[in-house]
Amino acid sequence: MLSKITPDYYLCTTISMAEQSPDRSNINPLCSMTNIVFYFQVHQPFRLRHYSFFNIGQSHIYEAANLNFELLNRIADRCYLPANEMLLKMIKDYGPDFKVAFSISGCALEQFEMYRPDVLDSFRRLLDTGQVELLAETYFHSLAALYSPMEFVRQVNKYKAKLKSLFGYEATTFRNTELIYDNAIATQISKLGFKQTVAEGVGSYLDAVSPTAEATHIFKAPGSNGPKLLLRQYRLSDDIAFRFTEPKWPGYPLDADKYASWLRALAIEQKAESINLFMDYETFGEHRPLSSGILDFLYFLPQAVAAYPDMKFATPSEVLSTAKPKKVYDVTKPTSWADDNRDISGWVLSHTQKDALKRVYALEEAVLAKGNEALIHQWGKLQTSDHFYYMSTKYWGDGVREVFSPYKSPFDAYINYMNVLADFEQTIKGV
Amino acid sequence: MSAGRLKVLMLGWEYPPVMAGGLGTACYGLCNALKAHADITLVLPKSSAAMVQDNLQILGVNQYGLDQAATVEQPPHRWEEIVEEVIEVPGNELHPYPISAVHKRVIEHLKFDPSDDQEVRALYETDEPYGANIMQKVAVYAEVVSKLALTKDFDIIHAHDWVTYMAGVRIKELTGKPLVVHVHSLETDRIGTQAKYMQANAVYEIERYGMTEANLCIPVSHFTKQCAADHYGINPDKCRPVYNAIDPEPTFRIDRAEGDKIVLFLGRITFQKGPEYMAETAYKVLQRYPKVVFFVAGVGDQLDQLKHRVEQLGIRDKFVFGGFLKKAQVKQVLAQADVYFMPSVSEPFGLSALEAAQFQIPCVLSTQAGVSEVMDFALKADYWDTDRFANYIYALLNYEGIRQELIEHTTENLEEMSWDRSARDVLAVYHEALTQG
Repeated sequence: MLSKITPDYYLCTTISMAEQSPDRSNINPLCSMTNIVFYFQVHQPFRLRHYSFFNIGQSHIYEAANLNFELLNRIADRCYLPANEMLLKMIKDYGPDFKVAFSISGCALEQFEMYRPDVLDSFRRLLDTGQVELLAETYFHSLAALYSPMEFVRQVNKYKAKLKSLFGYEATTFRNTELIYDNAIATQISKLGFKQTVAEGVGSYLDAVSPTAEATHIFKAPGSNGPKLLLRQYRLSDDIAFRFTEPKWPGYPLDADKYASWLRALAIEQKAESINLFMDYETFGEHRPLSSGILDFLYFLPQAVAAYPDMKFATPSEVLSTAKPKKVYDVTKPTSWADDNRDISGWVLSHTQKDALKRVYALEEAVLAKGNEALIHQWGKLQTSDHFYYMSTKYWGDGVREVFSPYKSPFDAYINYMNVLADFEQTIKGV
Repeated sequence: MSAGRLKVLMLGWEYPPVMAGGLGTACYGLCNALKAHADITLVLPKSSAAMVQDNLQILGVNQYGLDQAATVEQPPHRWEEIVEEVIEVPGNELHPYPISAVHKRVIEHLKFDPSDDQEVRALYETDEPYGANIMQKVAVYAEVVSKLALTKDFDIIHAHDWVTYMAGVRIKELTGKPLVVHVHSLETDRIGTQAKYMQANAVYEIERYGMTEANLCIPVSHFTKQCAADHYGINPDKCRPVYNAIDPEPTFRIDRAEGDKIVLFLGRITFQKGPEYMAETAYKVLQRYPKVVFFVAGVGDQLDQLKHRVEQLGIRDKFVFGGFLKKAQVKQVLAQADVYFMPSVSEPFGLSALEAAQFQIPCVLSTQAGVSEVMDFALKADYWDTDRFANYIYALLNYEGIRQELIEHTTENLEEMSWDRSARDVLAVYHEALTQG
């Protein structure tokens, strides 16, 4: 899911907008390397079909199969395949100078299997290069970390098993849905055996003077077992994800040399350990059209970065496995990568969202007691965070916000979901 | 009167206590708020005595020709006192412009001498603002009020609905003062868009004439602005929509722990209000949720048809027909209702939805109701989409989250709505009309 356009949309990065030409003499005084970490999120929910109260008790078909099929095909052709192709070419052309990480939700993986196995093959080719890392997440891209620690464990394990069966891959770095994170979640992550994770660099939990800059350092969660952390550099990430095609933005048009100079400026200014650029993979071709030249930008970026000998691309695992962070990221309330607040209010704020979440998680015991894999799976799909995001009334009525929703209103999203859930509840009671 | 304040000649028709629909409520709310910003002379067909209250002078044509100094000054009306006195229209029929084409032809041949002051006064000495001789009233009002206007000092003319447009245009012609017409409703709302194809529909023609001749128009919603453009050919560039409002009022709740839930329909039972869509929606809801009754408060020319329809659908026992309710009775019903339902086919505004919202009732509205433009936190569907309406009503009866969400945010929205805000918008329209030259 794309975090939405924020009021600082038109603001340029904190780094000077002045064009800087590569300056090789100005070597990082610490003589240490700054890592550039790309991580792309791939996720497609199982969107629900129009499900009226008349369907309750009559139909157990919940999903808009045609819509999901069409969207997946569209995004596969516009984004996943061409972008994967480009990454493969980059890895071939640049060798070890270019690396990326992905997190691909279980919902997306299932839809690739059903509708577009060619996309899976394309990811396999990327993985085969050994320069691509896959992160672990909750299978259903859910909010289980906030609502049910037990379900969270089940979903993470289910996801790990999925990666193994599809790719023969063992993930070592965890990323939670929408980068939702706090100390309690860090504890859950660590109990699952993960020693490293990623999160949003949220100002209120960082150095108040320069939170953006501080996010370039490597952190760890509180406690002796606290996982090590990379924090998202949101301004530089959003320069690509949001502002790349925005003519009113002072940085427009963005090219690889300019962007690399900003990375370099931040690296020197902050003695940065790692500049973490996390974004939706759909940025490349779906949110930003291919005609904008965004893939060319990506292609030339490693070249531009290579002009500075003290910056290199790395995967989260490479950076974190050897790191010995001293800084503690102490997050008392859940944060995320969405909206301006970077909290969880996009999913859990309105009465409708809270009501729907309460009801779906209240089914846990009854669903598990059935011991029916299909029902457990269906329940998991009903937990996908997108359903609740569509219900967000946070910006409803202000007419400014773009909402990536198949519904006409957040109320329709809630009502449709509740009708589906009512049928599912009846099924659970009846089976 | 302080210098610099605008002087407004306001031409009204319904006004408390003489009211048939929303026009009187809106005119009252607006004048009351506007008088803080401008000096208003409001001319009505009937007032019980010439009243001067602050900057609002009210004149009734029923007092025409009488020595104004001799009339008794009355204390200002307060809303609460007024609404208790709402007049029930004889015959229990309540629709504002109950004129058929036949009536009109007869009336136009009536002889009447508007120079006879006594005869003029007698014409308006009635509590029925419309009636069979409405066209005569309108014509005489135009004649008499335009004469009256020549004796008054004002900067701008503000005419409310077609009944006053003839007078407004006449006064504009006589004085050269700019004319602003307020469009509370249109004939195309009331009888349907066929109004524009009917031969010699005098009401439609007067509306078009008034809006065409006016310097600026004030429709009560963008919906009405669009209707004026689509059905009357009025240039949208001269329309400045100003929404109606509601003033804070204490509300209460009567909890009904047991028994059926209540879906409330409040208003005249006319084509415009979409009663057949209500029946169809009710039928669908009841198929799956029988523990609900549909309370219909109001009367109108489609009432019998509605009763017949619900009988036909086999849901007559789930309908309660409350007839015409007085204000206090309306509040009793509002305090118990669970859903407010307005499936209007064409509703310029729909003030009753704001009243319902004030009573913390979630609203299901048609998108063809102007009020839906100001209520972000209501459930809306096209008037013909009874599947969607039924789905919404079912949800409001079954799912607590949506009730809470709508009520909480609507309450916040209501705080931002006030007649004072509407009055300021109207004032801006005056200034624009005055500076247009």
